[in-house]
Amino acid sequence: MASLEPNEMIRRLTDFIRAEGNFKSVAIENLRRMPGGASREIWSFDCTTIDDDRDGAERRRAMVLRRDPGAHKINTSRRNEFAVLRAAFEEHVPVPEVFWLSEDPAVLGASFFIMERVDGETLARRLLRDEKFSQAREVMPAQLAEILAQIHRIDPVKHHFDFFTEPGESAALTEVKRYEENFRLLALEPHPAFELAFRWLLGRIPKTPRKTLVHGDYRIGNVIFGPEGVRSILDWELAHLGDPMEDVGWICVRAWRFGNDQKPVGGLCSREEFFRAYEKASGASVDPEAARFWEVFGNLRWGIITISQARTHIDGFVKSVELASIGRRTAETELELLDLIE
Amino acid sequence: MQDRPTSVELLEAAADFVDRELVPAIEGAKQFQARVVANVMRIVAREIQLEDPAVRREVKALAKLLGHDAPHLHSLDDLRKAATGLGAELSAKIRAGDADAGAWRTEVLAVVRQSVEDKLRVANPRYVEADIAARSAAAKQS
Repeated sequence: MASLEPNEMIRRLTDFIRAEGNFKSVAIENLRRMPGGASREIWSFDCTTIDDDRDGAERRRAMVLRRDPGAHKINTSRRNEFAVLRAAFEEHVPVPEVFWLSEDPAVLGASFFIMERVDGETLARRLLRDEKFSQAREVMPAQLAEILAQIHRIDPVKHHFDFFTEPGESAALTEVKRYEENFRLLALEPHPAFELAFRWLLGRIPKTPRKTLVHGDYRIGNVIFGPEGVRSILDWELAHLGDPMEDVGWICVRAWRFGNDQKPVGGLCSREEFFRAYEKASGASVDPEAARFWEVFGNLRWGIITISQARTHIDGFVKSVELASIGRRTAETELELLDLIE
Repeated sequence: MQDRPTSVELLEAAADFVDRELVPAIEGAKQFQARVVANVMRIVAREIQLEDPAVRREVKALAKLLGHDAPHLHSLDDLRKAATGLGAELSAKIRAGDADAGAWRTEVLAVVRQSVEDKLRVANPRYVEADIAARSAAAKQS
Protein backbone atom coordinates (compact mmCIF):
# COMPACT_ATOMS: atom_id res chain seq x y z
CA MET A 1 0.00 0.00 0.00
CA ALA A 2 3.01 2.26 0.52
CA SER A 3 3.15 2.26 -3.26
CA LEU A 4 -0.42 3.59 -3.50
CA GLU A 5 -0.53 7.30 -4.12
CA PRO A 6 -2.19 8.98 -1.04
CA ASN A 7 -5.14 10.45 -2.92
CA GLU A 8 -5.80 7.11 -4.58
CA MET A 9 -5.66 5.36 -1.20
CA ILE A 10 -8.11 7.87 0.28
CA ARG A 11 -10.42 7.41 -2.73
CA ARG A 12 -10.40 3.62 -2.41
CA LEU A 13 -10.86 3.73 1.36
CA THR A 14 -13.76 6.16 1.03
CA ASP A 15 -15.51 3.90 -1.49
CA PHE A 16 -14.90 0.85 0.68
CA ILE A 17 -16.28 2.44 3.86
CA ARG A 18 -19.29 3.91 2.05
CA ALA A 19 -20.22 0.49 0.67
CA GLU A 20 -19.53 -1.42 3.91
CA GLY A 21 -21.38 0.96 6.20
CA ASN A 22 -24.09 1.79 3.68
CA PHE A 23 -23.40 5.47 4.23
CA LYS A 24 -24.70 8.37 2.23
CA SER A 25 -21.30 9.98 2.30
CA VAL A 26 -17.85 9.39 3.74
CA ALA A 27 -15.00 11.87 4.18
CA ILE A 28 -11.49 10.82 5.18
CA GLU A 29 -9.00 13.28 6.62
CA ASN A 30 -5.56 13.24 8.23
CA LEU A 31 -4.53 9.88 6.78
CA ARG A 32 -1.01 9.03 7.93
CA ARG A 33 1.14 6.00 8.53
CA MET A 34 1.83 5.50 12.23
CA PRO A 35 5.38 4.75 13.35
CA GLY A 36 6.37 1.38 14.76
CA GLY A 37 6.09 -2.13 13.47
CA ALA A 38 8.76 -3.18 11.04
CA SER A 39 6.58 -5.56 9.09
CA ARG A 40 3.14 -4.21 9.82
CA GLU A 41 1.35 -1.13 8.66
CA ILE A 42 -0.94 0.92 10.83
CA TRP A 43 -2.64 3.92 9.29
CA SER A 44 -4.49 6.55 11.27
CA PHE A 45 -7.29 8.73 9.90
CA ASP A 46 -10.41 10.64 10.84
CA CYS A 47 -13.61 9.47 9.22
CA THR A 48 -16.77 11.51 8.92
CA THR A 49 -19.81 9.51 7.84
CA ILE A 50 -23.34 10.53 7.07
CA ASP A 51 -25.94 7.82 7.51
CA ASP A 52 -28.06 6.89 4.52
CA ASP A 53 -31.40 7.35 6.24
CA ARG A 54 -33.83 10.17 6.81
CA ASP A 55 -31.97 11.42 9.91
CA GLY A 56 -28.73 11.60 7.97
CA ALA A 57 -26.79 11.67 11.25
CA GLU A 58 -23.20 12.85 10.82
CA ARG A 59 -20.52 11.13 12.86
CA ARG A 60 -16.79 11.84 13.02
CA ARG A 61 -14.69 9.01 14.34
CA ALA A 62 -10.95 8.44 14.85
CA MET A 63 -9.98 5.20 13.14
CA VAL A 64 -7.00 3.05 12.36
CA LEU A 65 -6.44 0.64 9.54
CA ARG A 66 -4.31 -2.45 10.11
CA ARG A 67 -2.63 -4.21 7.31
CA ASP A 68 0.48 -6.41 7.10
CA PRO A 69 2.41 -6.89 3.89
CA GLY A 70 1.41 -10.26 2.50
CA ALA A 71 4.77 -11.97 2.59
CA HIS A 72 5.23 -12.36 6.33
CA LYS A 73 6.97 -15.58 7.34
CA ILE A 74 4.60 -16.70 10.05
CA ASN A 75 1.25 -16.44 8.37
CA THR A 76 -1.47 -14.61 10.16
CA SER A 77 -5.06 -14.08 9.31
CA ARG A 78 -6.74 -10.71 9.44
CA ARG A 79 -10.15 -12.40 9.47
CA ASN A 80 -9.45 -14.39 12.66
CA GLU A 81 -7.98 -11.37 14.40
CA PHE A 82 -11.06 -9.37 13.46
CA ALA A 83 -13.40 -12.04 14.86
CA VAL A 84 -11.47 -12.39 18.12
CA LEU A 85 -11.30 -8.62 18.61
CA ARG A 86 -15.06 -8.38 18.07
CA ALA A 87 -15.67 -11.11 20.68
CA ALA A 88 -13.30 -9.46 23.16
CA PHE A 89 -15.13 -6.14 22.69
CA GLU A 90 -18.48 -7.83 23.29
CA GLU A 91 -17.10 -9.37 26.49
CA HIS A 92 -15.96 -5.95 27.73
CA VAL A 93 -12.26 -6.59 27.43
CA PRO A 94 -10.63 -3.17 26.84
CA VAL A 95 -9.99 -3.39 23.08
CA PRO A 96 -10.69 -1.04 20.18
CA GLU A 97 -14.08 -1.56 18.54
CA VAL A 98 -13.62 -3.16 15.11
CA PHE A 99 -15.67 -1.91 12.17
CA TRP A 100 -14.94 -3.47 8.77
CA LEU A 101 -12.76 -6.20 7.29
CA SER A 102 -11.60 -6.55 3.70
CA GLU A 103 -10.00 -9.64 2.22
CA ASP A 104 -10.20 -8.38 -1.34
CA PRO A 105 -6.71 -7.47 -2.57
CA ALA A 106 -8.29 -5.19 -5.18
CA VAL A 107 -9.17 -2.69 -2.44
CA LEU A 108 -5.78 -1.93 -0.90
CA GLY A 109 -3.47 -4.67 -2.13
CA ALA A 110 -3.89 -6.96 0.89
CA SER A 111 -6.31 -7.90 3.66
CA PHE A 112 -6.94 -5.21 6.23
CA PHE A 113 -9.43 -4.14 8.84
CA ILE A 114 -10.54 -0.86 10.28
CA MET A 115 -11.07 -0.20 13.97
CA GLU A 116 -11.53 2.56 16.48
CA ARG A 117 -8.41 4.59 17.29
CA VAL A 118 -7.68 4.57 21.02
CA ASP A 119 -5.41 7.42 21.98
CA GLY A 120 -2.58 6.89 24.42
CA GLU A 121 0.99 5.72 24.74
CA THR A 122 2.36 2.37 23.57
CA LEU A 123 6.09 2.77 24.14
CA ALA A 124 6.98 0.43 26.99
CA ARG A 125 10.19 2.33 27.72
CA ARG A 126 8.14 5.43 28.56
CA LEU A 127 5.88 3.40 30.83
CA LEU A 128 8.89 2.07 32.73
CA ARG A 129 10.85 5.33 32.94
CA ASP A 130 8.68 8.46 32.71
CA GLU A 131 7.47 10.24 35.87
CA LYS A 132 4.17 10.83 34.05
CA PHE A 133 3.38 7.11 34.23
CA SER A 134 4.26 6.45 37.89
CA GLN A 135 0.61 5.81 38.75
CA ALA A 136 0.21 3.57 35.71
CA ARG A 137 3.19 1.52 36.90
CA GLU A 138 1.44 1.05 40.25
CA VAL A 139 -1.92 -0.09 38.92
CA MET A 140 -0.97 -1.96 35.77
CA PRO A 141 0.22 -5.27 37.27
CA ALA A 142 -3.23 -5.89 38.79
CA GLN A 143 -5.02 -4.51 35.70
CA LEU A 144 -3.02 -6.70 33.34
CA ALA A 145 -3.71 -9.77 35.49
CA GLU A 146 -7.45 -9.00 35.64
CA ILE A 147 -7.72 -8.35 31.89
CA LEU A 148 -5.82 -11.55 31.16
CA ALA A 149 -8.24 -13.50 33.36
CA GLN A 150 -11.09 -11.84 31.44
CA ILE A 151 -9.55 -12.89 28.09
CA HIS A 152 -9.21 -16.46 29.30
CA ARG A 153 -12.92 -16.48 30.18
CA ILE A 154 -14.03 -15.66 26.61
CA ASP A 155 -16.03 -18.68 25.47
CA PRO A 156 -14.75 -19.98 22.09
CA VAL A 157 -18.00 -21.88 21.45
CA LYS A 158 -20.28 -18.93 22.16
CA HIS A 159 -18.22 -16.76 19.81
CA HIS A 160 -17.92 -19.40 17.08
CA PHE A 161 -14.12 -19.56 17.03
CA ASP A 162 -14.37 -22.56 14.71
CA PHE A 163 -11.41 -21.30 12.67
CA PHE A 164 -8.97 -22.29 15.39
CA THR A 165 -7.30 -25.66 15.24
CA GLU A 166 -7.82 -27.79 18.32
CA PRO A 167 -4.62 -27.83 20.38
CA GLY A 168 -4.92 -31.60 20.77
CA GLU A 169 -4.07 -33.58 23.85
CA SER A 170 -1.27 -31.27 24.95
CA ALA A 171 -1.35 -27.61 23.97
CA ALA A 172 2.22 -27.27 25.23
CA LEU A 173 3.55 -30.11 23.09
CA THR A 174 1.66 -28.76 20.08
CA GLU A 175 3.19 -25.31 20.51
CA VAL A 176 6.72 -26.63 21.09
CA LYS A 177 6.46 -28.80 17.96
CA ARG A 178 5.05 -25.92 15.93
CA TYR A 179 7.89 -23.59 16.84
CA GLU A 180 10.47 -26.32 16.41
CA GLU A 181 9.17 -26.79 12.89
CA ASN A 182 9.44 -23.03 12.26
CA PHE A 183 12.94 -23.01 13.70
CA ARG A 184 14.12 -25.90 11.50
CA LEU A 185 12.60 -24.17 8.48
CA LEU A 186 13.99 -20.71 9.14
CA ALA A 187 17.32 -20.92 10.96
CA LEU A 188 20.31 -20.38 8.70
CA GLU A 189 22.92 -21.32 11.29
CA PRO A 190 23.07 -23.94 14.04
CA HIS A 191 21.77 -22.71 17.41
CA PRO A 192 22.87 -25.21 20.08
CA ALA A 193 21.35 -22.99 22.81
CA PHE A 194 17.92 -23.40 21.19
CA GLU A 195 18.46 -27.16 20.86
CA LEU A 196 19.17 -27.29 24.61
CA ALA A 197 16.00 -25.29 25.27
CA PHE A 198 13.89 -27.62 23.10
CA ARG A 199 15.20 -30.65 25.01
CA TRP A 200 14.52 -28.92 28.33
CA LEU A 201 10.95 -28.13 27.27
CA LEU A 202 10.22 -31.59 25.84
CA GLY A 203 11.21 -33.10 29.18
CA ARG A 204 8.85 -30.83 31.11
CA ILE A 205 5.59 -30.68 29.16
CA PRO A 206 2.99 -29.52 31.71
CA LYS A 207 -0.35 -31.16 32.08
CA THR A 208 -2.96 -28.75 30.81
CA PRO A 209 -5.75 -28.39 33.33
CA ARG A 210 -7.55 -25.70 31.32
CA LYS A 211 -8.08 -25.02 27.66
CA THR A 212 -8.97 -21.41 26.89
CA LEU A 213 -8.58 -18.64 24.38
CA VAL A 214 -4.93 -17.55 24.52
CA HIS A 215 -4.11 -13.99 23.43
CA GLY A 216 -0.76 -15.17 22.12
CA ASP A 217 1.11 -11.85 22.30
CA TYR A 218 0.24 -10.48 25.72
CA ARG A 219 3.05 -8.11 26.70
CA ILE A 220 3.36 -4.45 27.66
CA GLY A 221 4.39 -3.48 24.13
CA ASN A 222 0.88 -4.41 23.00
CA VAL A 223 -0.94 -2.25 25.52
CA ILE A 224 -2.21 1.29 24.98
CA PHE A 225 -1.93 3.05 28.31
CA GLY A 226 -2.33 6.48 29.82
CA PRO A 227 -1.15 8.00 33.08
CA GLU A 228 -4.12 6.28 34.76
CA GLY A 229 -3.29 2.78 33.46
CA VAL A 230 -4.43 0.34 30.75
CA ARG A 231 -6.67 1.68 27.97
CA SER A 232 -6.62 -1.06 25.37
CA ILE A 233 -5.09 -4.45 24.51
CA LEU A 234 -3.80 -4.70 20.94
CA ASP A 235 -2.40 -7.23 18.48
CA TRP A 236 -4.65 -10.28 18.61
CA GLU A 237 -3.31 -11.84 15.44
CA LEU A 238 -1.62 -14.70 17.32
CA ALA A 239 -4.69 -15.62 19.38
CA HIS A 240 -5.41 -19.34 19.55
CA LEU A 241 -6.82 -22.07 21.77
CA GLY A 242 -4.42 -23.46 24.32
CA ASP A 243 -3.04 -23.37 27.82
CA PRO A 244 -3.77 -19.99 29.48
CA MET A 245 -0.40 -20.25 31.24
CA GLU A 246 1.18 -19.55 27.86
CA ASP A 247 0.14 -15.88 28.19
CA VAL A 248 1.39 -15.81 31.79
CA GLY A 249 4.82 -17.08 30.72
CA TRP A 250 4.99 -14.79 27.68
CA ILE A 251 4.55 -11.59 29.69
CA CYS A 252 7.63 -12.66 31.74
CA VAL A 253 9.94 -12.86 28.68
CA ARG A 254 13.12 -10.89 29.24
CA ALA A 255 12.91 -8.81 26.06
CA TRP A 256 9.84 -6.94 27.38
CA ARG A 257 11.60 -5.75 30.54
CA PHE A 258 13.75 -3.22 28.74
CA GLY A 259 16.56 -3.71 31.22
CA ASN A 260 14.28 -3.62 34.29
CA ASP A 261 15.30 -7.18 35.08
CA GLN A 262 14.61 -7.05 38.81
CA LYS A 263 10.90 -6.90 37.86
CA PRO A 264 10.42 -9.89 35.56
CA VAL A 265 6.81 -9.18 34.51
CA GLY A 266 7.28 -6.54 31.83
CA GLY A 267 9.63 -4.57 34.08
CA LEU A 268 6.57 -3.83 36.28
CA CYS A 269 6.41 -6.39 39.07
CA SER A 270 7.57 -9.74 40.41
CA ARG A 271 6.27 -13.02 39.04
CA GLU A 272 4.69 -13.82 42.41
CA GLU A 273 2.75 -10.54 42.52
CA PHE A 274 1.40 -11.12 39.02
CA PHE A 275 0.53 -14.77 39.66
CA ARG A 276 -1.38 -13.82 42.86
CA ALA A 277 -3.33 -11.09 41.06
CA TYR A 278 -4.18 -13.49 38.21
CA GLU A 279 -5.29 -16.19 40.67
CA LYS A 280 -7.51 -13.69 42.47
CA ALA A 281 -9.10 -12.50 39.22
CA SER A 282 -9.50 -15.89 37.54
CA GLY A 283 -10.14 -18.21 40.43
CA ALA A 284 -7.64 -20.58 38.80
CA SER A 285 -4.31 -21.43 40.42
CA VAL A 286 -0.95 -20.72 38.80
CA ASP A 287 1.49 -23.62 38.96
CA PRO A 288 4.94 -21.94 39.11
CA GLU A 289 6.50 -24.90 37.27
CA ALA A 290 4.02 -24.54 34.41
CA ALA A 291 4.57 -20.78 34.34
CA ARG A 292 8.33 -21.39 34.16
CA PHE A 293 7.86 -23.84 31.31
CA TRP A 294 5.94 -21.19 29.39
CA GLU A 295 8.49 -18.49 30.25
CA VAL A 296 11.28 -20.65 28.78
CA PHE A 297 9.05 -21.39 25.80
CA GLY A 298 8.32 -17.67 25.44
CA ASN A 299 11.99 -16.72 25.31
CA LEU A 300 12.62 -19.48 22.78
CA ARG A 301 9.62 -18.39 20.74
CA TRP A 302 10.83 -14.77 20.73
CA GLY A 303 14.24 -16.04 19.62
CA ILE A 304 12.65 -17.88 16.70
CA ILE A 305 10.63 -14.79 15.82
CA THR A 306 13.88 -12.77 15.65
CA ILE A 307 15.19 -15.33 13.15
CA SER A 308 11.94 -15.09 11.21
CA GLN A 309 12.08 -11.29 11.09
CA ALA A 310 15.67 -11.35 9.88
CA ARG A 311 14.66 -13.88 7.21
CA THR A 312 11.91 -11.53 6.03
CA HIS A 313 14.70 -9.08 5.21
CA ILE A 314 17.31 -11.59 4.01
CA ASP A 315 14.85 -13.26 1.63
CA GLY A 316 13.87 -9.86 0.29
CA PHE A 317 10.17 -9.91 1.25
CA VAL A 318 10.54 -6.65 3.15
CA LYS A 319 13.89 -4.88 2.93
CA SER A 320 14.42 -3.09 6.22
CA VAL A 321 17.45 -2.22 8.33
CA GLU A 322 15.30 -2.72 11.42
CA LEU A 323 14.31 -6.27 10.45
CA ALA A 324 17.90 -6.98 9.45
CA SER A 325 19.26 -5.78 12.78
CA ILE A 326 16.79 -7.97 14.72
CA GLY A 327 18.75 -10.97 13.41
CA ARG A 328 21.55 -9.95 15.73
CA ARG A 329 19.21 -9.99 18.72
CA THR A 330 18.76 -13.76 18.55
CA ALA A 331 21.81 -14.22 20.78
CA GLU A 332 20.11 -12.22 23.56
CA THR A 333 17.40 -14.87 23.80
CA GLU A 334 20.01 -17.63 23.66
CA LEU A 335 21.78 -16.17 26.69
CA GLU A 336 18.51 -15.79 28.61
CA LEU A 337 17.60 -19.41 27.81
CA LEU A 338 20.97 -20.63 29.11
CA ASP A 339 20.38 -18.63 32.31
CA LEU A 340 16.91 -20.18 32.71
CA ILE A 341 17.70 -23.84 31.99
CA GLU A 342 21.12 -24.28 33.58
CA MET B 1 46.56 -2.80 1.56
CA GLN B 2 44.27 0.14 2.03
CA ASP B 3 45.21 3.53 3.35
CA ARG B 4 44.01 4.89 6.67
CA PRO B 5 41.37 5.40 7.95
CA THR B 6 40.78 1.71 8.65
CA SER B 7 37.38 0.15 8.04
CA VAL B 8 36.63 0.46 11.75
CA GLU B 9 37.60 4.13 11.79
CA LEU B 10 35.39 4.80 8.78
CA LEU B 11 32.41 3.02 10.31
CA GLU B 12 32.80 4.81 13.63
CA ALA B 13 33.00 8.17 11.87
CA ALA B 14 29.80 7.40 9.97
CA ALA B 15 28.00 6.10 13.10
CA ASP B 16 29.05 9.20 15.06
CA PHE B 17 27.61 11.43 12.36
CA VAL B 18 24.31 9.54 12.43
CA ASP B 19 24.06 9.62 16.23
CA ARG B 20 25.22 13.19 16.82
CA GLU B 21 24.05 15.09 13.75
CA LEU B 22 21.33 13.12 11.99
CA VAL B 23 19.27 11.66 14.85
CA PRO B 24 18.69 15.01 16.63
CA ALA B 25 17.66 16.60 13.31
CA ILE B 26 14.84 14.16 12.45
CA GLU B 27 11.78 12.74 14.21
CA GLY B 28 9.47 9.79 14.60
CA ALA B 29 9.88 6.58 12.62
CA LYS B 30 12.81 7.96 10.61
CA GLN B 31 14.65 8.92 13.79
CA PHE B 32 14.17 5.41 15.14
CA GLN B 33 15.48 3.93 11.89
CA ALA B 34 18.50 6.24 12.03
CA ARG B 35 19.35 4.99 15.53
CA VAL B 36 19.12 1.45 14.17
CA VAL B 37 21.49 2.41 11.33
CA ALA B 38 24.09 3.79 13.77
CA ASN B 39 23.75 0.68 15.92
CA VAL B 40 24.23 -1.60 12.92
CA MET B 41 27.41 0.26 11.94
CA ARG B 42 28.81 -0.12 15.46
CA ILE B 43 27.99 -3.85 15.38
CA VAL B 44 29.97 -4.23 12.17
CA ALA B 45 32.89 -2.21 13.61
CA ARG B 46 33.03 -4.48 16.68
CA GLU B 47 32.73 -7.59 14.51
CA ILE B 48 35.72 -6.54 12.41
CA GLN B 49 37.78 -6.27 15.58
CA LEU B 50 36.51 -9.27 17.54
CA GLU B 51 35.47 -11.95 15.07
CA ASP B 52 38.83 -13.54 14.25
CA PRO B 53 39.96 -14.48 17.77
CA ALA B 54 36.38 -15.43 18.79
CA VAL B 55 35.79 -17.81 15.90
CA ARG B 56 39.23 -19.43 16.40
CA ARG B 57 38.42 -20.01 20.06
CA GLU B 58 34.94 -21.31 19.17
CA VAL B 59 36.28 -23.84 16.64
CA LYS B 60 38.87 -25.08 19.12
CA ALA B 61 36.33 -25.43 21.96
CA LEU B 62 33.73 -27.17 19.77
CA ALA B 63 36.31 -29.59 18.34
CA LYS B 64 37.48 -30.53 21.83
CA LEU B 65 33.91 -30.92 23.08
CA LEU B 66 33.10 -33.25 20.17
CA GLY B 67 36.32 -35.26 20.52
CA HIS B 68 37.94 -34.04 17.31
CA ASP B 69 41.48 -32.82 16.74
CA ALA B 70 41.54 -29.05 16.38
CA PRO B 71 41.57 -28.33 12.65
CA HIS B 72 44.45 -26.23 11.30
CA LEU B 73 42.69 -23.45 9.52
CA HIS B 74 43.90 -19.99 8.65
CA SER B 75 41.37 -18.10 6.58
CA LEU B 76 38.46 -16.57 8.40
CA ASP B 77 36.11 -18.07 5.84
CA ASP B 78 37.36 -21.60 6.57
CA LEU B 79 37.05 -20.95 10.29
CA ARG B 80 33.46 -19.79 9.90
CA LYS B 81 32.60 -22.90 7.89
CA ALA B 82 34.25 -25.10 10.51
CA ALA B 83 32.34 -23.37 13.32
CA THR B 84 29.07 -23.88 11.44
CA GLY B 85 29.81 -27.57 10.76
CA LEU B 86 30.82 -28.26 14.35
CA GLY B 87 27.81 -26.32 15.63
CA ALA B 88 25.54 -28.50 13.50
CA GLU B 89 27.23 -31.64 14.84
CA LEU B 90 26.76 -30.45 18.43
CA SER B 91 23.13 -29.56 17.68
CA ALA B 92 22.47 -33.09 16.40
CA LYS B 93 23.95 -34.60 19.57
CA ILE B 94 21.84 -32.32 21.78
CA ARG B 95 18.74 -33.29 19.79
CA ALA B 96 19.57 -36.95 20.26
CA GLY B 97 19.55 -36.40 24.04
CA ASP B 98 23.32 -36.71 24.59
CA ALA B 99 23.42 -33.50 26.64
CA ASP B 100 20.27 -34.08 28.71
CA ALA B 101 22.25 -34.76 31.89
CA GLY B 102 25.67 -35.61 33.25
CA ALA B 103 29.18 -34.21 33.07
CA TRP B 104 29.10 -33.67 29.30
CA ARG B 105 26.03 -31.44 29.69
CA THR B 106 28.06 -29.15 31.96
CA GLU B 107 30.81 -28.93 29.33
CA VAL B 108 28.27 -28.30 26.57
CA LEU B 109 26.60 -25.51 28.54
CA ALA B 110 29.98 -23.82 29.14
CA VAL B 111 31.00 -23.98 25.47
CA VAL B 112 27.61 -22.82 24.21
CA ARG B 113 27.56 -19.97 26.72
CA GLN B 114 31.01 -18.85 25.56
CA SER B 115 29.87 -18.79 21.91
CA VAL B 116 26.69 -16.88 22.77
CA GLU B 117 28.60 -14.35 24.87
CA ASP B 118 31.05 -13.83 22.00
CA LYS B 119 28.14 -13.13 19.64
CA LEU B 120 26.76 -10.61 22.12
CA ARG B 121 30.11 -8.88 22.60
CA VAL B 122 29.65 -7.90 18.96
CA ALA B 123 25.87 -7.42 18.85
CA ASN B 124 25.15 -5.93 22.29
CA PRO B 125 28.11 -5.74 24.71
CA ARG B 126 26.07 -4.04 27.43
CA TYR B 127 23.62 -6.94 27.47
CA VAL B 128 26.30 -9.53 28.11
CA GLU B 129 28.04 -7.36 30.72
CA ALA B 130 24.74 -6.92 32.61
CA ASP B 131 24.11 -10.67 32.43
CA ILE B 132 27.56 -11.50 33.80
CA ALA B 133 27.14 -8.94 36.62
CA ALA B 134 23.69 -10.29 37.54
CA ARG B 135 24.96 -13.88 37.58
CA SER B 136 27.94 -13.08 39.76
CA ALA B 137 25.68 -11.13 42.16
CA ALA B 138 23.30 -14.12 42.32
CA ALA B 139 26.22 -16.51 42.89
CA LYS B 140 27.48 -14.40 45.81
CA GLN B 141 24.02 -14.40 47.39
CA SER B 142 23.63 -18.17 47.33
